[in-house]
Amino acid sequence: MTARFPHNHRKRLASCGSMRDCCRKTSVVRCREVVGRVRGASPRVFGTSGSPVDPPSAAVSVGAAWAHAPYPVIVADRDGALVELNDAAQVLWTDAARGDRLDDTVPTWLADAHGRFADGTREGTGLASGAVADRFFEAHPTPADDGDVVWWLVDDTDRRLAEAALTGARQRTALLADVSSQLLSTLNVTRCMEATARMATDHLAEAALLVAPPQGRRHQLTYAYRGGPVTRVTAPVDVHAVPGLAEALQGFPPVPARWINPADLPGWVQPADFAGPVGSVIVTPLPGHGVPAGALILLRSSGEQAFSGDEELFARLFAARAGAALSAARLYTEQASITATLMRELLPPRLESVHGVEYAGAYRPARDNERIGGDFYDVHPGTDPGEETLVVLGDVAGKGLDAAVLTGKIRNTLHALLPLATDHERTLTLLNSALLSSHHTRFATLVLASVRRRGSKVELRLTSAGHLAPLIVRGDGSVEETATRGSLIGALPKVTSATANVTLRPGETCLLYTDGVTEARGGPLGDELFGDDRLKRVLAECAGMPAEAVVERIQMLAAQWVGSGSHDDVATVAISAPRAADLTVAGGQGRAGGTTYRRNG
Amino acid sequence: MTDLPPPALRLTVTHGALELTVDVAGDLDLDTHDHLVETVTEQLARHPEARGVRLDFTELSWIDSVGLSALLMVHRRTRAAGRALYLDNRSALLERLLRQTGTLGHLTARPGRGEGATGANAT
Amino acid sequence: MSAPPAVGTDALVDELWQAVADGDEYTAVDVVRRARADGADEETLLLDVIAAVQDRVGSEWAADRLTVAQEHAATAISERVITALVHDRPPAGGPDRAPKGRVTVSCVDGEWHALPARLVAEVLRLRGWRVDFLGAQTPTPHLVSHLHSTSSEAVLLSGSLPTHLPTAHAAITACQAVGVPVMAGGRAFGPDGRYARALGADRWAPDARAAAAQLEELSFPHRSVPRQVMDDLPHLTDQEYTFVAQSRSRLVRQALTGLENRFPALRAYGDAQRERTAEDLAHIVDFLATALYVDDSALFTTFLCWTADVLEARRVPAHPVATALAVLGESLRDFPRALGLLADGTAALADRPLRPAPGPDTEA
Repeated sequence: MTARFPHNHRKRLASCGSMRDCCRKTSVVRCREVVGRVRGASPRVFGTSGSPVDPPSAAVSVGAAWAHAPYPVIVADRDGALVELNDAAQVLWTDAARGDRLDDTVPTWLADAHGRFADGTREGTGLASGAVADRFFEAHPTPADDGDVVWWLVDDTDRRLAEAALTGARQRTALLADVSSQLLSTLNVTRCMEATARMATDHLAEAALLVAPPQGRRHQLTYAYRGGPVTRVTAPVDVHAVPGLAEALQGFPPVPARWINPADLPGWVQPADFAGPVGSVIVTPLPGHGVPAGALILLRSSGEQAFSGDEELFARLFAARAGAALSAARLYTEQASITATLMRELLPPRLESVHGVEYAGAYRPARDNERIGGDFYDVHPGTDPGEETLVVLGDVAGKGLDAAVLTGKIRNTLHALLPLATDHERTLTLLNSALLSSHHTRFATLVLASVRRRGSKVELRLTSAGHLAPLIVRGDGSVEETATRGSLIGALPKVTSATANVTLRPGETCLLYTDGVTEARGGPLGDELFGDDRLKRVLAECAGMPAEAVVERIQMLAAQWVGSGSHDDVATVAISAPRAADLTVAGGQGRAGGTTYRRNG
Repeated sequence: MTDLPPPALRLTVTHGALELTVDVAGDLDLDTHDHLVETVTEQLARHPEARGVRLDFTELSWIDSVGLSALLMVHRRTRAAGRALYLDNRSALLERLLRQTGTLGHLTARPGRGEGATGANAT
Repeated sequence: MSAPPAVGTDALVDELWQAVADGDEYTAVDVVRRARADGADEETLLLDVIAAVQDRVGSEWAADRLTVAQEHAATAISERVITALVHDRPPAGGPDRAPKGRVTVSCVDGEWHALPARLVAEVLRLRGWRVDFLGAQTPTPHLVSHLHSTSSEAVLLSGSLPTHLPTAHAAITACQAVGVPVMAGGRAFGPDGRYARALGADRWAPDARAAAAQLEELSFPHRSVPRQVMDDLPHLTDQEYTFVAQSRSRLVRQALTGLENRFPALRAYGDAQRERTAEDLAHIVDFLATALYVDDSALFTTFLCWTADVLEARRVPAHPVATALAVLGESLRDFPRALGLLADGTAALADRPLRPAPGPDTEA
């Protein structure tokens, strides 16, 4: 609009009187209202010349309309003296009069901008902006006659406020998103509490204390101090000593910050590094999923600005997110601990040497996110070295938890049948009738091995119940399949079985395994079965190895064969006659002419 | 949409004068075993005149322990209904699995007296 | 190594090596127990004796002076020696030592070489850390759920075979997303730890002592940093890694056919021999894929030269490796990064110092 300024009106303007008479009494305290009033003022013709403040250069080149313009307008000469100002401008500078020095009247930013415009050192249009009282203006200069400059002031306050509000809202949204992403990434309660306390000090307060719900009479307390470490203690604190804390822990609405007298806070609320004294405090519940997840106490020292209403509101938003994340973590922890307890019974046992015989077992469940599956093994040591140790390895049709539950039943039943276990066929018959059901034909296959050391040798009685026959690795590298056969357990009305007797000499091994080994599909060409022949070839290279090494090697080769493909449960148990100490490892089993890469570099 | 892969297990039922024949093609395993049991059970109910069920394994490509469990259930149900079950054209893989698990005799035995309700007697 | 080995370590290494190579568990345990009784420091025994012997097991195998069985037996015995040493340890390090934090030591999923991780775990325990040792072959979901259910302050991730680097990357990002920093270690991460950095690990340690020292410096707690693999390795957008990794079997088949066309004698080999050749090719493809993943040709060339050395140590001619690269190149014409790696590999093989050529090879 500066461009459309009507030059032909300048003469009339020149006769303008002072407008301060009508406006000067008005306060600028509530600027918005005043401006409104000025806008609403009826048009009038300004007074005549001859006023005491009439500058000599009163012949200002502006028209009459400007006097009532809703925007403040001032005119200044090249020397920085005020030539004219309209109604709206007079509202801003109530004491200003023609002839005043700009330097003494308007803020520095405007006076300086004028100086630059007047002496030609301005950049671009010479547009300037800055605050006047508590409003914010953009000042647009236009040149007038005699080097005068007309400054048109556009009130920019609302836009600025809106922008500031938007930026603030964006920052808070980004912060809340960050808070959620930080907190939701962990399902660990302790880590979640630490992250909450730390982020509270990063963004909200000088110090934060997260009070967890009580365990008995003790509370876990997580302290954070800006720039310091997060610390945890569990202590029997009196939560009633902190105004609003007991209520927050019970999920009642938070007590407004201004109701809490910081002087009333007990010492344990402050982290060790907090310089204090506390100037302001917020106590807010951490709302969980139905039950409170704890409470958060935010502290600022008396040296800092007290929490504002907005900040208190924001603290509650923060607490809501933290509470949701903490509840999820607590729920996960409870579930995980229940699962772990139930699963403990189903996990395969750790095996070790018993009565002079080496045992080693390894198990890899079909699904990587499970630890249990349909394969199982157990070693039940004989009551003394003269008694047989019973080894069982088996496979339940199916995978995952369903299968694992059935393995648990079989293992428990076999444990109960131990006193009868010297008679394999009878044990299998009893187990079969315990498992038989009219509802399904889910079955198990298994191998029973009764093991006893005799001198330096180990004697085995092996009975397969529909399972893969165990393999014997001899000292010379030959691999034998044991001659035991029998029917599976749990689906047929009657079971049959034939037991094989085997003697292991020192360094020899009997391997019990499930079909997860031989049915592993993969290999370098992608879709081949690992198969019996390959297993026997690999076992031949295991002659003389300790039981653990045999089991590890078979598991490793089967896993590498499958690569990233899917696989069945894989269970292996090796029973070895210990090598005599003076024997050297059976050498010469290296692969003639071929190459392989050393396992794992 | 038109290029969906063929189902892992394909069952084709043909009705003879006195027998039902089910061609079992593809994989009989954890993912598909229900399909066989349900199909045979349904056919038994629908065809009371059939004296026997023939499962033809010419095109069986894979069977695992859950598949064997399904065969045992099919056997139990056909016997309970007083019909005979025949396992025809057994592949080497199937034959081996049946022998290893000691189920070959059970699944292929001719129905004799007192054997009719084998499974139902179990508890 | 931050501390100089104790005097007499060399003699101990020789003694233990002899027992381990003989598969003599009793003597091996006895050697270490005696040294301990004579005042040898446990950390020295773990790192300067047992680890040194284990290094020797590796190099002796590569030189074809140990069989697979002996190597496995040796490793099993080293494990038992460590177990015996730990068993003899006085409980809980002494009253003056306040427990440090809790950390998790794990191998990368698919990594069977657990001994280096075990040594790190034992050294950290000696230095007062509470250590959860998850062992070899830990599926990444198990590692992450372990972190959820414990308050581990850091994960020490061990990898020996570079082909596990993509899996290691998944584990590193998963741990960091949970808010737990990761220190990587082991040969897989490169001699200077460059792959640890490439995969965004918070720290890298060249050995157990350095790991213990660095752990003291790691700041806890950590910010959770959820991110995608592309954030660390933007070159993966070219899909070359994805293609090679997914076409592994097909590439191996094509290369096998290509090799048989060039060396017709291969066809006369038995199935077992053919399978070994296929395994060798699969290793080359795996290393090629990994080199594409981390975009580093040294990873590929180092592997090829090592392979050639191992072959020659077994009196098998190494030049078919170069031929295999040429054959693979024919299947990867549209993949400039892969072709670049194959060219680097060919050049590295050609630059290898000449060795006495074992046995005649009639193929032209």
